[in-house]
Amino acid sequence: MTKKEFRKLFQNRLIILDGGMGTLLQKAGMPGGVCPEKWAAINSELLKDTQRKYVEAGSDIIYAFTFGANPIKLSEYGIEDETYALNKTLAEIARDAAGKDALVAGDISSCGNLLYPFGSVMFEEAVEGFKKQVKGLLDGGVDLFVIETMMDLQEARAALIAIKESCDLPVMVTMTFEGQRTLMGNDPLSVLVTLQSLGADAVGCNCSGGPAEMVEIIRMMKPYAKVPLIAKPNAGKPRLENGVTIYDMDDESFAAYTEELVEAGANALGGCCGTTPEYIRRVGEIAKSLRPVQAERKPYSLACSNRKTVEIHVTLPFTVIGERLNPTGKKFLKEALLKGDMDVVSDLAREQVEAGAMLLDVNAGVPGIDEKETLKVMVNEVCNSVSAPILIDTSNPEALEAALRIYPGRAVVNSISGESEKIEKLLPITKKYGAMFVLLPVDDNGVPETAEKRIEIIKRVYSRAREMGFSKEDILVDGLVMTIASNPSSALETMKVISWCKKTFKINTVIGLSNVSFGLPAREGINAAFLAMAVANGLTSAILNPNNQQMMQCVKASDALVSRDKSGLSYIDYYAEKSRPQDNTSEKAEKRQETVLKSLYDAIINGDGDAAEDMARQALISGKMPKEIIDKEMIPAIQKVGEFYEQKQYFLPQLIRGAEAMERAMAVIAPELERDKEERIESKGTIVIATVKGDVHDIGKNILAMLLRNYGFDVIDLGKDVESKRIIDAAKANNADIIALSALMTTTMNQMPLVMADMKRENLNCHMMVGGAVVDRNFAESFGAYYSNDAYKAVKLADEIMKRNKNGG
Amino acid sequence: MNDVKVIRSIKPVYNKDLIMSRLGYDKYRTTLSAETMREIERLIKKTEDIMDITAAYRITGITQINPPQIILEDGTILSGQMLSELLKNSRQALIMGATGGAKVMELIARLQEEGKMSEAVVIDAAASEITDSVLDFVMAMVEQYFRPKGMFLTKMRFSPGYGDFDIQQQKEFYRLLNAQDLGIMINEACLLIPEKSVFAIAGICHDQE
Repeated sequence: MTKKEFRKLFQNRLIILDGGMGTLLQKAGMPGGVCPEKWAAINSELLKDTQRKYVEAGSDIIYAFTFGANPIKLSEYGIEDETYALNKTLAEIARDAAGKDALVAGDISSCGNLLYPFGSVMFEEAVEGFKKQVKGLLDGGVDLFVIETMMDLQEARAALIAIKESCDLPVMVTMTFEGQRTLMGNDPLSVLVTLQSLGADAVGCNCSGGPAEMVEIIRMMKPYAKVPLIAKPNAGKPRLENGVTIYDMDDESFAAYTEELVEAGANALGGCCGTTPEYIRRVGEIAKSLRPVQAERKPYSLACSNRKTVEIHVTLPFTVIGERLNPTGKKFLKEALLKGDMDVVSDLAREQVEAGAMLLDVNAGVPGIDEKETLKVMVNEVCNSVSAPILIDTSNPEALEAALRIYPGRAVVNSISGESEKIEKLLPITKKYGAMFVLLPVDDNGVPETAEKRIEIIKRVYSRAREMGFSKEDILVDGLVMTIASNPSSALETMKVISWCKKTFKINTVIGLSNVSFGLPAREGINAAFLAMAVANGLTSAILNPNNQQMMQCVKASDALVSRDKSGLSYIDYYAEKSRPQDNTSEKAEKRQETVLKSLYDAIINGDGDAAEDMARQALISGKMPKEIIDKEMIPAIQKVGEFYEQKQYFLPQLIRGAEAMERAMAVIAPELERDKEERIESKGTIVIATVKGDVHDIGKNILAMLLRNYGFDVIDLGKDVESKRIIDAAKANNADIIALSALMTTTMNQMPLVMADMKRENLNCHMMVGGAVVDRNFAESFGAYYSNDAYKAVKLADEIMKRNKNGG
Repeated sequence: MNDVKVIRSIKPVYNKDLIMSRLGYDKYRTTLSAETMREIERLIKKTEDIMDITAAYRITGITQINPPQIILEDGTILSGQMLSELLKNSRQALIMGATGGAKVMELIARLQEEGKMSEAVVIDAAASEITDSVLDFVMAMVEQYFRPKGMFLTKMRFSPGYGDFDIQQQKEFYRLLNAQDLGIMINEACLLIPEKSVFAIAGICHDQE
């Protein structure tokens, strides 16, 4: 079957696929633990009968039972050598079952292991494995292919590339979603954009939850779909009833979603786990009276990673492309790449995305480096660090192909010019992997100075690209920015190109912004002015430094001014949430001024350490006595924080921030107290605190130690994994009133009674408090300790114990 | 399918509400300023970025369940009344483990040393929740592999130390998962190091033959 015939199949009609096989074969006697494909090949008549039932139920396409017949999966049963034979046999059985009444799709699914970097299977190993399966299926006579139940977009890509490199048959690809993402975090739009760009002839979802969940996924894909969409859901969730697997939905309730799925945009319908020929018959009957919807497709350029799609268009907010992952002029990045230090790469990626970059330009051009390998590693690192899609910035065809091949989304190639060699070598690679590209209006004669000559090149490259199947949406035209230092009219020529692209040619544009000011002083001013003018002329995107606040302010302001940021909401949000580390000094100073007016009490309540420190200092300068400050402001404040925590108005971080603010203020006041002996504050008591021997979980103990200090206790913190003897010695040496112990594990809590026994043996006149995840009141009381289940309650408990002590209790 | 499979660098979906809940947040009573909420979200993101997640799992046959004993195909004996009940319809079990790596624990320790306890406590809670969500990921992934065969997983999983499933059995999991290869150590008290590490077991269900 040709791709054209496949497209024709979907014209003005709905295609019916088949339903579940695993449950049916299990009911027909397939035991658990066997290789299902091998068992089915042996029991070929049974398989053929089951598949024939789907044909009779109205399936236009049935799937060969080769779901898990790839060599990696088959190796789990020690039969990987049978890959070719098994696929060929199973395709022939399906062929027999289909006769002339249905088409047969060679079925490929996951190899049962995650691909690198998540699992141990390398991308090329997966491609090669799938190719073996494809060969068997082709020789078995399949009409087309289906890649199904994939949860990792990268694995779906590997299978699709394997088929594309083996034949020209049509390929349908469906992935399985948990809610609105696959388990590996792939969202429906990125799945669609990646796969349809890479050459899938139909895309969609199968398995997943029931049909209701699938309606939303299809609806999300439809406005962007260039290919037919497939919905092949499960019959709900399975459960065991009296030893038999039951699914939530019967055939009638399952088929009831048919109309909704078609309205959402599905062009092909079928079933997955738990569905039977009867389910498919009912779906087919309803589908007969329906026609596929014709949705208007959004005209945006779409670049995506495996987790996020960015829409680029002159009517949408300006697209910022981060420029900083380019070693040109960056010694630290050059050195990092030469050393293979990818932490620098991931940090730069994160910083740019946090600052507002929507895509990232990635360039590995360092003299003397293996660009192909370095670019691959950089691309992997960026993918793992951020979800922003990337521009692959290279003119080296080998490096480009290597990076595009492993990139699990739809990248943008930066760039392809009108130079004959670039067109011949880079354009076919870009097409093969379905990437977008930046069209650089330069040709074999060099850089044209005038807009008119640049436009000629743009038209010429586009014409060649269109012949290869690209459309305008797949291209960003580079306005070609040259410095005004050498040619004063160069910026104006760039503007003319941008304006022509917007008004006449209707194609999206990009510029490498900072070139415009090269060789000039105060470059930021020129860059910002140029950017604003370019946006006014219709510029769609720019490669710039998103960590430069002036540039980002200019982007947000320009968007608001040309109404690409509707109602200025993005502009307002930008300023509402920003407190940028590199430019918040004036804000901080202002804040300080404000806090002077607040009381120390409020600062502690609000957990504002800076203000607490300032106010404590101010209070001393104003002549207040240290003890008075503590008694009248700080202690009531920290008690109030505790009350809020008890009432759950505050949660743990707020309780601790109050304590931290208290500590900061105390650090200011304490030296003054030391000077005046009469002013000294009496300690509430001495507490030796430790996490018991064998236990290293100590954050709870550390929180308690901090709170106890705040509330006026002297605390001797012995740390974690502490032997009983050290605890007893410390209690003795410090004349402790209380020993406080924590333990998190059942295996370590038994240390607590041992410490108690030692304490008694040594006749220490002190109490013991215990706590920790596994400890409870009964356990504590069994050896005479007090118990508390949270740090703040433990402070109150310590208070009570000391009061009782004083009262002779 | 007896070999241990290792998964790295995944980004599991986790529930931020559960992190907040670990920190004592009460949606009806706790009042948070937008600034505090942003700070909490920043810290959660920081945790996600610094965690070096590794997980491992293996599928193993269950030879016999004689409550409270469960005998696995390699002769390993696990014990727990509740665990026996969980696995009663399963002839295979999913043994799994996950660790958040050492870096996040170093960050928590450093923050405490620097007196930034409020940051440490948020990162600690986030790291615990994210590590737990790795096991959700493993279960969902394995179930996806089994679903087309008409098989599925028990809704729940148990970890050593839960109910009557003694913590000492961490040692069996450690051995079954070759956990030393994941960078996990186990001490005499069966405590896993790095601290954000967890083992668990779930059952694989299918029609009774």
